Amino acid sequence: MPKTQSWYDRIAALFFFGVGLFFALYARRVEIGTWNEPGPGFLPFWAGVTLCVMAVGLFVGSVRRAGPVLPRFFPQADSWKRVVATFVAMVVYAQIMNPLGFTIATFVFVGFLVKFIFPQTWTRTVAVAVLSALGARLLFINLLKTQLPHGFFGF
Amino acid sequence: MDLLNHMALGAQVVFTPVNLLLCFLGVLLGTLVGVLPGLGPTAAIALLLPNTFHLSPVGAIIMLAGIYYGAMYGGSTTSILVNIPGEAASVVTTLDGYQMALKGRAGPALGIAAFGSFIAGTISVLGLMLVAPPLAQFALAFGPPEYFSLMLMGILILIYLASGSILKALMMAVLGLLISTIGMDSISGTQRLTFGMVELSDGVGLIPVIMGLFGVAEVISNVEQAIKQEIVTSKVRDLLPSLRDWKDSFLPIVRGSFLGFFIGVLPGPAPVISAFSSYALEKKLSRHPEKFGTGVIEGVAGPEAANNSATGGAFIPLFTLGIPANSVIAILLGAFMIHGIQPGPLLISQHPQIFWGTVISMYVGNMMLVILNLPLIGLWVKLLRVPYPVLFPLILVFCVVGVYSLNYSFVEVGLMIGFGVLGYIGRKFRLEMAPLVLALVIGPMMEQNLRLSLVISQGSPWIFLEHPISAAFIALSLFLLISPLIPWIGGKRKQLQEKVEGEEV
Repeated sequence: MPKTQSWYDRIAALFFFGVGLFFALYARRVEIGTWNEPGPGFLPFWAGVTLCVMAVGLFVGSVRRAGPVLPRFFPQADSWKRVVATFVAMVVYAQIMNPLGFTIATFVFVGFLVKFIFPQTWTRTVAVAVLSALGARLLFINLLKTQLPHGFFGF
Repeated sequence: MDLLNHMALGAQVVFTPVNLLLCFLGVLLGTLVGVLPGLGPTAAIALLLPNTFHLSPVGAIIMLAGIYYGAMYGGSTTSILVNIPGEAASVVTTLDGYQMALKGRAGPALGIAAFGSFIAGTISVLGLMLVAPPLAQFALAFGPPEYFSLMLMGILILIYLASGSILKALMMAVLGLLISTIGMDSISGTQRLTFGMVELSDGVGLIPVIMGLFGVAEVISNVEQAIKQEIVTSKVRDLLPSLRDWKDSFLPIVRGSFLGFFIGVLPGPAPVISAFSSYALEKKLSRHPEKFGTGVIEGVAGPEAANNSATGGAFIPLFTLGIPANSVIAILLGAFMIHGIQPGPLLISQHPQIFWGTVISMYVGNMMLVILNLPLIGLWVKLLRVPYPVLFPLILVFCVVGVYSLNYSFVEVGLMIGFGVLGYIGRKFRLEMAPLVLALVIGPMMEQNLRLSLVISQGSPWIFLEHPISAAFIALSLFLLISPLIPWIGGKRKQLQEKVEGEEV
């Protein structure tokens, strides 16, 4: 269901308040110092406090005004699946790069995204994944000499 | 005479095979990312930054600057041919450029966009050469209080121009400041919020943050709703504008160039604002304003000149004060620092080869763009046919490799993904990312200057008002903060917001 701007603002205010509070409390563990001699915790503490005050202001403002209705968070019914799958694929890509090596990991990553995010034929998927993996290897490892993981198989 | 000597020094730096090649590569890649929707100059420069580590500092800056102004050129091609702006500064070009293409005049539209951009680029480089050195001289008088107030003002100008709530933009800036405090404190050496992770002791890297907030978030936003691609069928011919076209376009190009340059100096999405302002100005001055939007060449020439000129203007705060005007320049600031050079008032006197080399390379790069753009338009059109489902995995591979190769650390890749989530959700919540990035970049400088100022004044915050230059910056900052409450100025700000809606700065 579409939500109003104030609904989003309330959640944002809680997030900012949490972050501000975290920094302000953490700053006390390092030295805040004084105005004469500010310590390493000086800026985190005062900026954290300022963020908390602003978050309260945003929350109060959102309660007093509803604001415009914003478009749905996910524009299509299956949007969330594509978004989550892409983020998860990136995390997995980063995880498998060390054991499998850059080339194979890139083949798996590109192949997965091409096949499952906006489904393409298997022929196109394999062709794009192979060309991308080899092209990226040629560009980064051979040409730009970037040190990327080689994995168990040595490439 | 001094100026000629400096230009000769710049030419000496640029006219070496390696630097000419880097300049060419920069403008070529810039045009490419300008043509491709969904990949802007911010993400492209962030992506390529790690690959410039083994280059000389001046070579790296020449290439990265080329990407910035090259992207402005490339963006116009897609606006004119397929009504899709490659980047936000070209949105206004679609209004008359695409209409010209529909009437079979795509060639003159592309031609005048290229020539207009060249003339504007040249004027802005001349402006940069003339304005930057005296401004840097003036900035030599700055101490910690002046620097702190100036940076505060820079952030507040950006917040003032932010689309949407000033309060939320301020909160994003404070969040950026807080993130910038993570890592080792530069004065006492104390570790702050690193949780024992070695990767965080140098602070949260700018590149993972920018790649996440702009690159990954942009791709994910496109993934949730596929970009519709139109097949380009029209043939492009007669790229050289006629005498009549030149007559109609000459003054809009000159006006757009000056307007763009002056808007470019201000923090914020200067190329976008200047393009829209130039369009509005031309419409106002035109004898036939009703024809704007139906395919008049002035509607292409002015804005294209303005957005290119703005890129030159945006380098002035960087070269003279060491302060980035937008997120692209913020990455360039990062590039300077990675190569061990501190941009600021001393840059021109201490590293003249870098300043004058970059300036002359911009001039050479503008010439390359004209030569490059006109014959290669057919190739750019073909590139537009690469389907997004094939393109986006490659962009993500570039993002991951780009961040990993910075320090060979998967922690930074994780940070990029985290900031990608923040950037994606932030867009839904209408949160501005630019203030966060700017605050993150200048946060350490701000903190250092704040603490030094307080030590100098023995704890008195009045030091910021006792120094006249600093007091002027503070007064302007306060004015910007309260100005939305004044109805007339508030209305003007709303107009600006509408223009820059959705822009990455």
